[in-house]
Amino acid sequence: MAQREFNITIGADGSVEVHIQGYKGKSCSEAVKLFEQIVGEIQAEQKTGEFYEPEEQVQYRIDQRH
Amino acid sequence: MGATLILVPVVVAAWPAFSAAVVAAAASLGYQVAAEAAKEGRTVAAPQGPKTVNLEIARSEVVTNQLGRDQRMSVSKEGITVTFSRDARGKATLSVTGQGHDQESLRKLGEELSQAVVQQYVYQKLTDEMRARGFVVVEEETSQERAIHLKIRHWET
Repeated sequence: MAQREFNITIGADGSVEVHIQGYKGKSCSEAVKLFEQIVGEIQAEQKTGEFYEPEEQVQYRIDQRH
Repeated sequence: MGATLILVPVVVAAWPAFSAAVVAAAASLGYQVAAEAAKEGRTVAAPQGPKTVNLEIARSEVVTNQLGRDQRMSVSKEGITVTFSRDARGKATLSVTGQGHDQESLRKLGEELSQAVVQQYVYQKLTDEMRARGFVVVEEETSQERAIHLKIRHWET
């Protein structure tokens, strides 16, 4: 189970700073878009190491029983 | 961590959501709601003689239907009255009036309150949208500088 977290500061002037944790690659880009939709214009964006890590693959094992 | 963002909020709200943000912001700064009324004949009359400063909230749009077009809301504190309304372009505007205050101090008070309105609008919208997407607010605090800190979490299965 992956934990995904946003640490958000809404300044007294209304400006918003968001730290996105637990998102990698495409899913992180989607989270960025989500904040753009909800809050407004992105003034600055800095991707961290986790962004460039490969996304987690969910693997399913199917056991065939006779 | 995946990314860090700095965003400038855009306020696009219907009058009920906008006025709710005004009420919350006013309360946080010690103002009281003086009146909410439609334009015709029920506007809160500004006292005679005092100075008035008119401001607008940048990047704002108060969307409304024909009936709610002329709605406005006034809040007051210690002889200062701030009236929020929507101008012809749909922008949120405020008029700050007060006896015994110069233009500069009225402007500062108006800017402080309008920024608090934007902050409350963003807070409400963010928490509503996040909850709708299954996120949980696990921490919330307001600093001495009146910044709101939120920790929002989601567990993916």
